[in-house]
Amino acid sequence: MSVLTNENLTPQDILAKAQKLRPQLGDAFRDEIVTSLYGEAERIAQRAVHTTKDKRWDFDQRIDRIVTSPVWGLPIMLLLLAAVFWITIVGANIPSQMLATALFWLEDKASGLFTAWGIPWWITGFLWHGIYRGLAWVVSVMLPPMAIFFPLFTILEDLGYLPRVAFNLDFLFKKAGAHGKQALTMAMGFGCNAAGVVATRVIDSPRERLIAILTNNFVPCNGRFPTLIMLATVFVAASFSPVAASFVAAGSVLAVVLIGVFFTLLVSWVLSRTLLKGEASAFTLELPPYRRPNIGRIVYTSLIDRTIFVLWRAVLMAAPAGAVIWVLGNIYVNGNSLAIYIANFLNPFGVLLGLDGVILLAYIIAIPANEIVVPTMLMVYTGTGMMIDLPGLDGLRTLLIGQHGWTLLTAINLMLFSLLHNPCATTIATIYKETKSAKWATVSVIITLGLAFLVTFLTASFARLIGWA
Amino acid sequence: MPDPIVLLLAAALLFALALLIFHPRKGIFIRLRAGRAAAQREKMEDILKFILDRQQEGRFTSNEALIDVLSIHPNELLRVRKTMEAQGLVRVEGGTLALTATGQQLALQIARAHRLWERYLATEARLPLQKIHREAHRMEHRISQSEVNALDAALGYPLFDPHGDPIPNRAGELPAKELGKPLTEWEAGTPGRIIQFEDEPPLAYEQILAEGLKLGQTLRVIEATPERYVLTDGENEYRLAPAVAANVFLVPSPKAAIHGGDVFPLASLDDDQPAEVVNIDESCQGFTRRRFLDLGLTPGTIIYPELNNFFGDPRAYRVRGTLIALRRDQAGMIQVRRLEPE
Repeated sequence: MSVLTNENLTPQDILAKAQKLRPQLGDAFRDEIVTSLYGEAERIAQRAVHTTKDKRWDFDQRIDRIVTSPVWGLPIMLLLLAAVFWITIVGANIPSQMLATALFWLEDKASGLFTAWGIPWWITGFLWHGIYRGLAWVVSVMLPPMAIFFPLFTILEDLGYLPRVAFNLDFLFKKAGAHGKQALTMAMGFGCNAAGVVATRVIDSPRERLIAILTNNFVPCNGRFPTLIMLATVFVAASFSPVAASFVAAGSVLAVVLIGVFFTLLVSWVLSRTLLKGEASAFTLELPPYRRPNIGRIVYTSLIDRTIFVLWRAVLMAAPAGAVIWVLGNIYVNGNSLAIYIANFLNPFGVLLGLDGVILLAYIIAIPANEIVVPTMLMVYTGTGMMIDLPGLDGLRTLLIGQHGWTLLTAINLMLFSLLHNPCATTIATIYKETKSAKWATVSVIITLGLAFLVTFLTASFARLIGWA
Repeated sequence: MPDPIVLLLAAALLFALALLIFHPRKGIFIRLRAGRAAAQREKMEDILKFILDRQQEGRFTSNEALIDVLSIHPNELLRVRKTMEAQGLVRVEGGTLALTATGQQLALQIARAHRLWERYLATEARLPLQKIHREAHRMEHRISQSEVNALDAALGYPLFDPHGDPIPNRAGELPAKELGKPLTEWEAGTPGRIIQFEDEPPLAYEQILAEGLKLGQTLRVIEATPERYVLTDGENEYRLAPAVAANVFLVPSPKAAIHGGDVFPLASLDDDQPAEVVNIDESCQGFTRRRFLDLGLTPGTIIYPELNNFFGDPRAYRVRGTLIALRRDQAGMIQVRRLEPE
């Protein structure tokens, strides 16, 4: 104290004195400050807060013992995930059809009106059968599942269950040289990979954050679920009774998701041994007490912040894609549409991967928005000039298996390709924004597309080798 | 008479070429010279640091040692040494090199930059310890005095680098430090605390790290033969080759006497067994330590493992009413003492 009160001292003297005294503090003095802060806080808390035995707290502990238990933790997690998928598949079915009917009715009326006014067919076609139909498809296919999936997911988030998932799975991520919170960002990816990429901000180590960004695409997002669900219903669930079909479909989607998780871990492991070398860093995760979900807030955040946001972005992407599809399907050269020419050109390569040219064409057109893969495919197969609606299960079976030679191999490889292929344009743009590097955005495309080609090529070759297809 | 246009073109070409070579800031000539000057400065700084290291160990530096360790060509050494002598950085006394006061000051500043960088890379960027030396060595020549000071302040004026070497302060003064004895001279059976690792040669240092030895760890030698040294911290056994063991430095450990044998890492605490935090390992610094402290893992805090998952790692611990999941490696950095259940 005397040093500071002496008036003859200049500020420089004080600084010099402090400099001299500082080494005497030693390394532990920060620890002592924090310890005394906590001590003081504890003292105040003890005086001000009275605790009685809290029943709810015991209840929390009992739930935690079950949902993270060595025996039940993982099965409960899988079951919850399957339940979310099942509710989404079953619940979205009818609203989807209603929306589609309404929107396509509007298209019919409008195009009819245009024709009646004497507007040339190609303007009507381009606007209504091209752009509008693309939008209508995306809205009717995406809106209902998202409006169900996101609130369900937000409930789990609000309850405090997601940190428990991260806790259950952390070991796997640690082995892969990644961060335990990657499980959280992966879960966000189910909704939308772009949202998952943004969510990686919770990871504080730059290396592990990059891993989480580059591998987020390996969980299928909502836009890709329709493809998976279609495959699951046409090829797997078709041989079951209608009652069991929805469960089988949800189970198949779950299986695909688990394959995606496997690839997430595998690619993380490879990345942390090659491009992004390093050890798993410090990981501390708070498991918050369970909270009663705030329904009002859930509806707001999941519908406005997520559903509408994601939908709006998809709409922006789908409109030009719809226009391109219409143009390709309606410009004829020597009696064949451009779409057919491109599909024929891509066919040998597609066959090599166990797919065909039409599927690859659909994926190229669908880079802006994965939702329109199935409608584009069906459009080219049926030779109509516009995207068409699913012509019912039986019709689909005859079309794909009977007329276009689909096999189980085609279904499996399409499923794998859908899971592994490059991120959609929005996700790529988000990766670029989040990493501020064109290099990492490119790497994300190369890894996913390379892996998709490699895996489908291997399964196709293997299947042909053993005479399976 | 050649075409005037050709002449004009040739002149323009010549001028461009001259500019490319002799441009005062961007010309090849000036760049080469700057590059060579930078390379020469790096060599000089490496030599200064090497002499300083030797001096601190109480050894002299000969030309041969420099040629051998820093792999400089003898002719080049001669040239660099002349420059350094002319700048008043080193004195040649007999066959050995010694630092002048200026040289010593410069050498300390380079060591300071190097060790602060190492500290930053290890505790904030959390780079694996095997990698920090090379990176810091690259950075130490490129950082200005004021940047070093800013780094020092940002790190909270640390006293030691991640392998226990003292970091000089702004004035070039070294913090007081106990002098450690190499493990090879340590008496078997007496507990000793690790205060320093020698990080050269890198191969030996990597073996020390691979064994999992940490700064601040208290150990006993249980076997010392010409083939190997076996150490124990009461929990695990560590094996080192004698050449590697000579790079580990110990001081007598008063702490072990206080704790007795009942202090052990949190990672080996049984499920649901309450315990009291004794301290956080000395080797755990920077980001991770701050995180632990923020979570309230201060000495005296009561903690117990409450949740275990399928893989057995991480575990969730109850601390001050909240549940916090820690991986096994991190729980290994927190020392606890068992409490009797109430």
